[in-house]
Amino acid sequence: MILHTFRKETKELWRDGRVRIAFVIVLLLTAIAVFISTNHYENINAQYVEASANEREVWDNQGEKNPHSAAHYGTYAFKPKYPLSLIDQGVDKYAGTSIFLEAHNRNEAQFIAASDQTGLARFGDLTPDFILLFIIPLLLILIAYNSITKEKERGTLTLLNSQGAVGWKIVFGKWLAIFFPVFIILFVLFLITGLILSNLPDFGVFSWSSLMTLFIAYIIYYSIFINLVLIISATVKKSGIALVLSLSVWILICLVLPKAASNLAEYKYPYPTRQEFAENIAKDRKLGLDGHNPWSAAAKKLEEETLKEYGVDSLSQLPFNYDAYRMQKGEEHEAEIYFKHYKLLKTQYSNQSSIYKILAIVSPYLPTRFLSMAIAKTDYNTHWDFSDAAENYRIQTQKFLNDHFAKESKLGEWDFKADAGFWKQLPKFNYEPPSLLETMKTNSASIIIMLIWVFGSFTALFFTTKSL
Amino acid sequence: MLRYNFKYEWLLLIRNRWIQLLSILLFFLFGFAVYNGIQKVEARQATINNALDDLKTQETATLAVLDSLENGQKVSLSRWRLPSRPVVIGNYLPRVVHMPAKSTAFIATGQSDLFAHYVKPTVTGDDLSISYTEMTSPVQLLFGSFDLAFVIIYLLPLLIIAFSFNVLAAERESGTLKLLASQPIRIRTWVLQKLGLRFFWLILCISVTLIIVFAISSFDFAANWSALLTLLGYIIVYALFWFVLAFATNIWIHSSAKNAIALIGFWVIFVLLSPSILNQLSTSLYPMPSRTLMLNQMRTLKAEASKKQDEILDSYLRDHPEYAINDSTQTRNFYHRYMATQNLVKEELRPVVEKFDTQLRKQQEWAYTFSWLSPALVVQNGLNRLAGTSEKDYQSFKSQSLAFATQWRDFFLPYMFNNQEFKKSDYKNLPAFAHEYQESGNLLSMIGLLMMSVIVVVLVFALKPKKSPINIVAS
Repeated sequence: MILHTFRKETKELWRDGRVRIAFVIVLLLTAIAVFISTNHYENINAQYVEASANEREVWDNQGEKNPHSAAHYGTYAFKPKYPLSLIDQGVDKYAGTSIFLEAHNRNEAQFIAASDQTGLARFGDLTPDFILLFIIPLLLILIAYNSITKEKERGTLTLLNSQGAVGWKIVFGKWLAIFFPVFIILFVLFLITGLILSNLPDFGVFSWSSLMTLFIAYIIYYSIFINLVLIISATVKKSGIALVLSLSVWILICLVLPKAASNLAEYKYPYPTRQEFAENIAKDRKLGLDGHNPWSAAAKKLEEETLKEYGVDSLSQLPFNYDAYRMQKGEEHEAEIYFKHYKLLKTQYSNQSSIYKILAIVSPYLPTRFLSMAIAKTDYNTHWDFSDAAENYRIQTQKFLNDHFAKESKLGEWDFKADAGFWKQLPKFNYEPPSLLETMKTNSASIIIMLIWVFGSFTALFFTTKSL
Repeated sequence: MLRYNFKYEWLLLIRNRWIQLLSILLFFLFGFAVYNGIQKVEARQATINNALDDLKTQETATLAVLDSLENGQKVSLSRWRLPSRPVVIGNYLPRVVHMPAKSTAFIATGQSDLFAHYVKPTVTGDDLSISYTEMTSPVQLLFGSFDLAFVIIYLLPLLIIAFSFNVLAAERESGTLKLLASQPIRIRTWVLQKLGLRFFWLILCISVTLIIVFAISSFDFAANWSALLTLLGYIIVYALFWFVLAFATNIWIHSSAKNAIALIGFWVIFVLLSPSILNQLSTSLYPMPSRTLMLNQMRTLKAEASKKQDEILDSYLRDHPEYAINDSTQTRNFYHRYMATQNLVKEELRPVVEKFDTQLRKQQEWAYTFSWLSPALVVQNGLNRLAGTSEKDYQSFKSQSLAFATQWRDFFLPYMFNNQEFKKSDYKNLPAFAHEYQESGNLLSMIGLLMMSVIVVVLVFALKPKKSPINIVAS
């Protein structure tokens, strides 16, 4: 029965001009999107490689210089682009790509691509994720909206019933027939992406298992959509009404709820403005140790403690340059302040995420979106991870420079210069993104909500169509 | 006939609760959107006011210190933080260069969540280090905001589609079309009248609910009546366009489901696909140079410049002999070298930075020209302009504030190079900033939209449907 229905429905869909045209259009759009994204990816990657190499060269060839001058001169950490961003660009467009690492300050990532584009960019890009998340569900609606209502309208449902056909078996056959064309699009898209990526020179970072996981996530997303559309088609009498209702559900899930969630999240847990954030940090810094200011109370205290610890009576008797030592202590103190404020920011974001999670119960788009970005390593968490890694590297760099300064020079020797060859000894910045398993762990809530959605909607479909 | 149509349509719409449902729906959509918009604008205004208040407090404190200094009293500040040093005023008392929200800013979020609304340029800071982007969670930027513009551009067409896709087809499907055909009226005229009436009631519902929502949120009607009229104007022409499309599909396509599909197809093309395709094309045609490579360039320049600081200062002073002559002390310190170097780096980077601006301008011009392909884009641009949140507004703020930054720097340069102290009496001479919005015409966009609708209507009347609609039912 299931197989018969499947065969009949597939044939019918294929003969329907509208479906065929829509199918071809979607395939065409997907092809264009993949082509554009591949170009974009290769471009950005080449820029990344060039910029990182250049920056390191500038650092290595600073010549003789005071280590602290070098610390102020700073260096840049560039965010790499990951292969699966080819499928999902995530928040990449809205998060900066380079972080300036200097003494005393933790800087935000600079250069948000969206700010270099026209307002059109806010409507979205023609990228595979746009097609996967918005357009294919629309295609599903187009294919499925009348699959049960048409039987009612033509009166064939009575015929089917009189033949002793079981409701859920017919529906399951139809389900498979609707799923089949979408599965083909998805399969082709992912296969091509996999082939393109595995043929790129930096094949090392790409993993087929991530691609497979992403594939499964989308399969679940579409299953939920098919279930929803079929439930509507089974409960409504007319095709037109079924179509309009399905579309309303689509709009609610894909457009309205995400936007409402973002408004709600911002209203309940607002971010500080850039200036406010900077001022809060400045206030905290004023109270504590400033490596450049030996007269503050905190500096006096450190002086006493150090003298006591080494059992000497004057700073010049210390076995190292105390100026550099104080600088390092100041650096550590500042790093702590930054850690505190960024932690506040992160807490605010995780509060916002909880709102997204709550609304994910009504919109399966949300968990899919978050999971997809996470697997593609283009989500906000990965950005945080990168920013934290850059900060750790910055702290290490400062220690490396200050230690050298402290060891090699005497108190008050501010004109000390490190050798030209010294800079090369600084280890390179190497960022490892979270592994697939870690990503899955941090996004377990999204996975659970998606599973609840898919099982819940299957059950609901089964009960609404048990007897048609 | 129009009179009967009017009367029965009204009765029909009231009795099947169409009008009541629509009003309630619109009320909630508009209400939520306006509420969101006002929240954002209030938050924006509050941060600006905080910054201004902070500046005031600092100002009072600084003036007091200056006063004590000029009266020869001792102050408890380290030497390098004394406000008599011009660089201290220029760096630690920067002006709050801000972009106040327009009274209509709540209508469209536009780019306001992406860009900062105030900056504080300092004397020693360079233009590139001023951050114009706001600290927003990128997830929020990705999802966008539920604002009035979203309701109008995305949701309003869907409401129109839901209530007009089956005007003619429903008659055919329920068999009443034959009755209708026996009336002394052309089918096309009848559909036009029927849709016209629905359009009329929809606009009435929108206007009433919108005005109620605006009144609840204490909108200043007296001061902003023209903005309200512009907003209504956009809504009317945009709604008209969708009704006209519904009219065309009703005439040309004969089943209600197919009608709905065709209309949704238009919606997808105009609202979803054309913006993303146009954006993609504009960025491919006028690609932005790489910001990361620009950084490299800037770093190399700065590194080279800092190696030759002394020479740069010498040649700078040769170009500006007034600084070398007026100063009796002739002492040159770190800041003199720094300012001279800064200037040089800025000049050398200018072509690189300008490349970004020209590319963005080209993208914009292109996008504006081709936005005529989609009424949704025309309306979005129009509403963003009306709200003062379009990318043009932010660009204008950027250039105005950068011009001010130069003015600020130039104010302190003579003080610094002449090694002149900053006096309390100089305080009132500090440059002040006032942002100005550029007004742009909305009438052209509306007329353009109106023309689109007229073209569609003319097409429908000029081209007859392929088959006589009555026969379809019989077959």
